[in-house]
Amino acid sequence: MTLIFSFAQAAFIVLLAPGMVGFVRTLKARFQNRRGAPILLPYWSLLSLFRKEMTITRNSSWIFHAVPFVVFASALTLAFLIPTLGYSGGHLGDIFLVGAIMALGSVFLVFGGMDTASAFGNMGSSREMTLSALVEPALYVSLGTLAIIAGAPNLESILERFSSASALDILPIAALSLFALFLVFLSENARYPVDNPATHLELTMVHEAMVLEYSGAYLALLEYASAIKLTVLFAFLMDLVVPFGIVHLPFTPLTLLVACVALLGKLVLAALLVAFVESTIVKMRFYRMQEFMSLGFIVAFAGLLLALIFGRPL
Amino acid sequence: MWKLLSKIITTGTVTEPAPALEADFQIVGENIRNAVHTLYGGRSLRIRHVDAGSTNGEEYELTALGNAYYDIERFGISFVASPRHADVLTVSGPVTRNMEHALRTAYEMMPEPRIVVALGDGAIDGGIWKGSYAVVGGVRDVIPVDIEIPGDPPSPFDVLRGLLSAIAAARS
Amino acid sequence: MSFILPLFVFSLSIPLVVAVVAVGVGNRSWGNILVQLLMIFGGVTGFIASTLFLFGGGDSSIVSGLLSFPAPLDAWFAIDTLRAFFLLFVYAGMMLTSLYSLGYLPKYRGVYSLPALNAALALFVFGMGATIMSASIFSFLLFWKVMSVSAYFLVIADRSAESLSAGFSYFLMTHIGFVSLLAGFLLLSGGNVFASFLSIAASAAGLSSFVRATAFFLLFIGFGSKAGLVPLHQWLPYAHPQAPSNASALMSGVMLKVALFGFIQSLFLFSEIPLWWSCVVMAVGLVSAFFGVLHAAVESDVKRLLAWSSIENMGLLFSALGGIGIIGSLPLGLGAQPLIGALAFFVALHAVNHFLFKSGLFMAAGAVVSETHTRDLDQLGGLAQKWPLFSAAFLALSLAASALPPFGAFYGEWAYLQTLVAAIGSGITALAVPAGVALSLISLISGLAIFTFAKAFSSIFLGRARTNHAENVGHLHWALVTPVVLTAVASLATGLVAVPLGSLIAGATSTGDWSASLAPLPRASINPLVVLLIVMLTLTLAFVASRIFGAPRIRRTDTWDCGQPLTRRMEYTATGFAAPIRFFFKSIVLAEKRMTATPIIASNPWIASRSLEWKVSSFWERALYEPLGKLMLRVADVIKHLQSGVVQFYLLLVFATLVVVMSTAL
Repeated sequence: MTLIFSFAQAAFIVLLAPGMVGFVRTLKARFQNRRGAPILLPYWSLLSLFRKEMTITRNSSWIFHAVPFVVFASALTLAFLIPTLGYSGGHLGDIFLVGAIMALGSVFLVFGGMDTASAFGNMGSSREMTLSALVEPALYVSLGTLAIIAGAPNLESILERFSSASALDILPIAALSLFALFLVFLSENARYPVDNPATHLELTMVHEAMVLEYSGAYLALLEYASAIKLTVLFAFLMDLVVPFGIVHLPFTPLTLLVACVALLGKLVLAALLVAFVESTIVKMRFYRMQEFMSLGFIVAFAGLLLALIFGRPL
Repeated sequence: MWKLLSKIITTGTVTEPAPALEADFQIVGENIRNAVHTLYGGRSLRIRHVDAGSTNGEEYELTALGNAYYDIERFGISFVASPRHADVLTVSGPVTRNMEHALRTAYEMMPEPRIVVALGDGAIDGGIWKGSYAVVGGVRDVIPVDIEIPGDPPSPFDVLRGLLSAIAAARS
Repeated sequence: MSFILPLFVFSLSIPLVVAVVAVGVGNRSWGNILVQLLMIFGGVTGFIASTLFLFGGGDSSIVSGLLSFPAPLDAWFAIDTLRAFFLLFVYAGMMLTSLYSLGYLPKYRGVYSLPALNAALALFVFGMGATIMSASIFSFLLFWKVMSVSAYFLVIADRSAESLSAGFSYFLMTHIGFVSLLAGFLLLSGGNVFASFLSIAASAAGLSSFVRATAFFLLFIGFGSKAGLVPLHQWLPYAHPQAPSNASALMSGVMLKVALFGFIQSLFLFSEIPLWWSCVVMAVGLVSAFFGVLHAAVESDVKRLLAWSSIENMGLLFSALGGIGIIGSLPLGLGAQPLIGALAFFVALHAVNHFLFKSGLFMAAGAVVSETHTRDLDQLGGLAQKWPLFSAAFLALSLAASALPPFGAFYGEWAYLQTLVAAIGSGITALAVPAGVALSLISLISGLAIFTFAKAFSSIFLGRARTNHAENVGHLHWALVTPVVLTAVASLATGLVAVPLGSLIAGATSTGDWSASLAPLPRASINPLVVLLIVMLTLTLAFVASRIFGAPRIRRTDTWDCGQPLTRRMEYTATGFAAPIRFFFKSIVLAEKRMTATPIIASNPWIASRSLEWKVSSFWERALYEPLGKLMLRVADVIKHLQSGVVQFYLLLVFATLVVVMSTAL
């Protein structure tokens, strides 16, 4: 049952993911007083890409072919491990496992950028690797803090703790950690102020530069993977911030329906948040990234202190 | 920031209505028909633009397509950074000898099905540079062209109308 | 199990025989094959003996379960669980590197003197095995010396100026280490150099706390200098890479473990370990790990990068030992047990994994160097197209070294991080503060480790070859590929058996519930099989997703070049790849860049040939070694005045010394 629940949850996220990307894009267009692309556009783009031919550089090896699969698989694994609709008692989403799976996806993306002999891909790879290395302290410290608050180091228990009756008591304690997590997720998903997902200028790219050489089905896999990652990470974050409508076993069709609608609502909130951030701040210069990362880490560490001082120990 | 937000809210959406399509758009070949069919009726088209030697007039107009008035994105069309991502290759200007190789490689790297759009008089046949020693000729002298949009430069509406009419014609 | 003992004696003596045989056979082409086969044979027997002892003993406590040797040998050697565990490294390393040497050494017939090198290697392996088996201080120090001195000859094996200078700093450091080991052990044994470790453990309890602290830190310095802990690490990144790659693999993979073994064994000599000792050990370990990985991240010499990464891993291992000490010295009662168990699990598993991936990577690096003739990452590239299997093995080892799932190193690090979170959550200040610092530092370290190995792998194997050397590589000898593939498979396998193995080592009882016995926090459990299954499943799904519309059609083109044809000089080099890290940590790595422009025409300074020169220097080099060196020179300047050249004056000095000795000794 827990397994079926996890599958259903992952399938839900996977189906929603391109829509989430489309929705953020539309919201951003509205912030620019434009009408913007239809929300369903990413679905059509992915379908088109799957049907297209692939052109691949002669300077690549078998790694180049393996990359899209591993990256997509790591995103799918995240969707499978991270509880979003609710928790089923499987306790699969260990915090360090989730962090490592994210890193695995990044590393392979970096290999994809390096296996092209193009300076654009190489530059993106170098930058992406730097960012994902520097973001680790903030990620692990803030996840560790949430684990301490919840009393168990996996995301299901954290979600369980946050959706319990006394959630309002712990939200203020966890606020700083959640903010640090938000900063980390912005960086992990290549959003402002770390990266510009809509840039056409190779020199300002991080994530986009690595996928410049991909086409067709491989590109679709990579784009889909980043959409899934964005959706699942922000869905989890919003689950903690707005712990409403989270199901757990045993559930009825009604509670499940409520959970699905609530998750949609949370994703709308997350999209609004991301679009708002992206429309009101500017991208930071890459060589100022250590300031952003240090800020993330300091906030996470302050969150840890806050949790230790005001939270109940185990 | 509040000033910016209130400006955004009071301005509202400024995008103009979509242009009326030309009912008798004729120049539709087998390639574009096939491409539009494969790509789900052209609901999502990604454009890679190559300036093969234009006066940059066309580029100004293309840039305008992305702004709030013309908003090409609402038709599911977007500009991308790599020819490998693109469905549509727009080319402007007469193809100069220096840009011939770049144009050929960009075309070669585009995965099929692909649509080539020659943008402006220069791209169609060389325009006022026709016959110059520095110019190879129009785009069709280098790579196969599917849509030609005349004008020097064509206005953003012309470009939109040309593109959308061709897609609509290919779809039917 | 009476046949285990002869097996141990046999495997211990084989390298001695080999050392003689190696000199005897001289430079004959079958000589190397004979020597390596003998070594493989010895390694296999030793490995079997250790495995049988570990799994057949039935007693899983660490220092009991002694296997005593017959009369003349019992003062010298002993085997227990800890020793047998560390002997696994020696004999597995011996097997793998000898197999590797079958293909590797013949390529270097002109560079190295094979008989001498093989003899030194055999003595080195003998020294490591015998050091671990030693039962008394005397034999321990003797064989430690055998190991260190033969390692010196391995470092200078190619007799180049660079090797000699690296060998010199190694020789200096190993002696500082040896002297402090000698002093530490003698303090504990009360001056009896023949004392056995068992008797020291009993007698050391009666010493004053000051003497014990001094002895502890002398031992820490001794073993730490061998393990490359900061600030006594300066020799390691220069010495390890200078040795031939089979020796580098043994040095980084096994010799560092001998230092780790020595330190763990000395921990058992102290009845209690105060909190502050452990805090120092942990802090030194963490600082070493951080500096190691930071330098590895900006290093462009492939073997030196691996050596820096060894410092990182040894730092992590020592910090975990410090962590065990901290937890053990606090009055936690039964609550300490799972935490200590998890950290011990980390130490054991990470030692195994570091051995596997580091010796594998050193051998792989050696194979790459033997074909491309350069250690400079900036000049490699594109090898994945030429050697798909080899590149896959290297990739697996790189992922293992980055502690990513599903490789064994990940599960070790997982246990460590879980313990830290549990320790922070305990709310006990003495536990939470070091754990909080450690959690932040280790997550940064693991991030940088990923960076390091992503850089190493992609600069060697991906993209396009950056030089003709890398372009025109031939086929790799099977003996070069096999050990690398073996270590890669083994580090994947340790991931699968990690948790059951861990419960065995952590001394958990065989209740069958191995995940619970390892969980420091309630419900912290991880099942490697489930992880692997999920990964396989999602990979399959990804594959299915890409085939929704049938197999994709693929057309090969050139790399997209924006119309300007790409040359291989336009690719990012490893140096360029690490530029952001160098920039972000510039106050620590101290990179110096110097552009020199020499005008081609004297009248016009703008037309010039420019050359870029740059080096990364270490913070410790500048803050510690240079001032220390200057101080030594200044002191020597003062002492120089004693050199008057008058014989009577020298005799007077001798007389004064004798008087001082007489007054203290009597």
